[in-house]
Amino acid sequence: MFEKLLIANRGEIALRVARACRELGIRTVAVHSTVDRDSAVVRYADESVCIGPAASRHSYLNAAAIIEAARQTGAGAIHPGYGFLSEDPDFAEICADNGLVFVGPRPEVMAVLGDKSRARALMRDAGLPLLPGSVETLATVGEARAVADEIGYPVIIKVAAGGGGRGMTVVWSAADFARAYAHTRTVARAVFADDRVYVERYLPQARHVEVQVLCDGHGGGVHLGTRDCSVQRRHQKLVEEGPAPALSAGTLDAIAAAALRGALSVGYSGAGTVEFLVDEAERFHFMEINCRIQVEHPVTEMITGVDLVHEQLHLASGAPLRIRQDEVQLRGVAIECRVNVEDPERDFLPTPGRLDRFQPPAGPFTRVDTHGTPGYVVGPHYDSLLAKVVVWAPERTLALDRLERALEEFDIAGPGVHTTIPFIRRVLDDARFRKGRYSTDLVDRLLRDADTPAKPPVDRTGEPAAPTAR
Amino acid sequence: MTGEPTEDDHLLAQLREQASRLVAEVDGPLRRIRMRSGNAVVEIEWHGAATPAEAGPALPTDAVVRPVSAVSGTPVAAGSGADAASRDCVVAPMVGTFYRAAEPGASPFVEVGDLVEPGQVIGIVEAMKLMNHITAEHAGKVAEVLVGNGEPVEFNQPLIALVSA
Repeated sequence: MFEKLLIANRGEIALRVARACRELGIRTVAVHSTVDRDSAVVRYADESVCIGPAASRHSYLNAAAIIEAARQTGAGAIHPGYGFLSEDPDFAEICADNGLVFVGPRPEVMAVLGDKSRARALMRDAGLPLLPGSVETLATVGEARAVADEIGYPVIIKVAAGGGGRGMTVVWSAADFARAYAHTRTVARAVFADDRVYVERYLPQARHVEVQVLCDGHGGGVHLGTRDCSVQRRHQKLVEEGPAPALSAGTLDAIAAAALRGALSVGYSGAGTVEFLVDEAERFHFMEINCRIQVEHPVTEMITGVDLVHEQLHLASGAPLRIRQDEVQLRGVAIECRVNVEDPERDFLPTPGRLDRFQPPAGPFTRVDTHGTPGYVVGPHYDSLLAKVVVWAPERTLALDRLERALEEFDIAGPGVHTTIPFIRRVLDDARFRKGRYSTDLVDRLLRDADTPAKPPVDRTGEPAAPTAR
Repeated sequence: MTGEPTEDDHLLAQLREQASRLVAEVDGPLRRIRMRSGNAVVEIEWHGAATPAEAGPALPTDAVVRPVSAVSGTPVAAGSGADAASRDCVVAPMVGTFYRAAEPGASPFVEVGDLVEPGQVIGIVEAMKLMNHITAEHAGKVAEVLVGNGEPVEFNQPLIALVSA
């Protein structure tokens, strides 16, 4: 195992990784930007190095500065967390060139899976079901429209280099296709510097179900059950739970087995997540593989008892998998919600500011992963995720009630600061969500229900419009 | 040099230069620029009001007020060192190893008491096997060398302190 590890990230995940290292006796180096100098992980870690200014492209995305910090401090490994450089094959390669262990899959595997279109082709070859659409990228609007016309609308245009829910456009009719195609390629060029796109059938009522896998790169692998992440706004997850509710045991087993088969087929190593869309008939379709620890990993930790960051570090040291599939026991239900510093009433606009009061919930089977503290200043520079509240219970109804109780306890206040907690509580209160019968359109429906236009709404059903929940 | 420019002259010239450099670098249209030298704060305000989280490359339409960190040679209130605020520090523009001389055995670029001119090399920061010459942005007298030869430095770490000559 490594003696010293550098954490190339910030916020709650940096602290999460530092804690795992502390438990394993690994010394930690926190790298930080100038505005994160007083952050929780900097205080917690054994050493810290300032690597650049606030702008992440000059600090947390600055590979040279991070490698230099590792060299300076004598770290033997780098944990990239999620986001930033976590799925950058070039960075993983630079780590290897400098004699550093990158905690994640091999660079070539990451490069293949980072190209969503190539990943689709490989998973098809491994026998995983795909959504109807193109496996190759489509270089002309004519080619792309032909595919769309053939599979039928709505379709979704996806960027091959995309990820993190960015770079996709839903097209509802042939008339809108050309414009959407051009727009998606323009955005892809600007954001990902790669404008290759492909087309898939879009399922408005689908569920986002993903599988956590651990592989050792020596042919060994296990899956740790499913997570449902259908509560999304603009492809950003808000609430995640495991195991995925209201699906038959047969479907859950089949999805998990397919996920592991897919990951092993490309020589995956480390912790990974295979994402699927599940339609109303419980048919599942491969979407993509994420090569990092995910925001929602605590859900799986709570239902399996496996510390995924411990396992990541164990596998990154080159050791074989130490968990057998028949040892993986899924117990009870875990639900996580993300607390973002955003105002749901103003289209989820980030509301940076100082936290005058910050008192996270506690109590039985309640876990809060956060870097927040009283007095912490949420800056405008980074992601607005402030905390994750995760609860466990033997069955789902109690888990929902427990999460509701925990959110009620969460006291966050500061001038101008808003959080997504009120909106999350509305999700938890929704009848569809409580039944476990919800899909990726739940949030949009909730937002539509709550929309109070300035003039009386035209209601096609003749029912009075729903009052605004405040 | 003809005529002794005052400290204010230097500061003004520097602010002007920084402002024009910023305007050239940022995506417009700008609404307001505020610069302060005490804690080296620069604020830029774009037209618009959204504040995106910086999770990736920002699009030019993003409107946000972003403090921009000082670059080497600008006055910074260094977190360490006595009365750093009253002195100008030349800071490390990157993480690396600080060298006071061009090569082992050579005499240092600057010693305490030396007068430095704008643009004069005061040391080297080696990062990823590249030697980066660090220059003073304006004139002054070397009051203190804050980092030893061959020592690691982090971003923005004060390397030498200057006082008005």
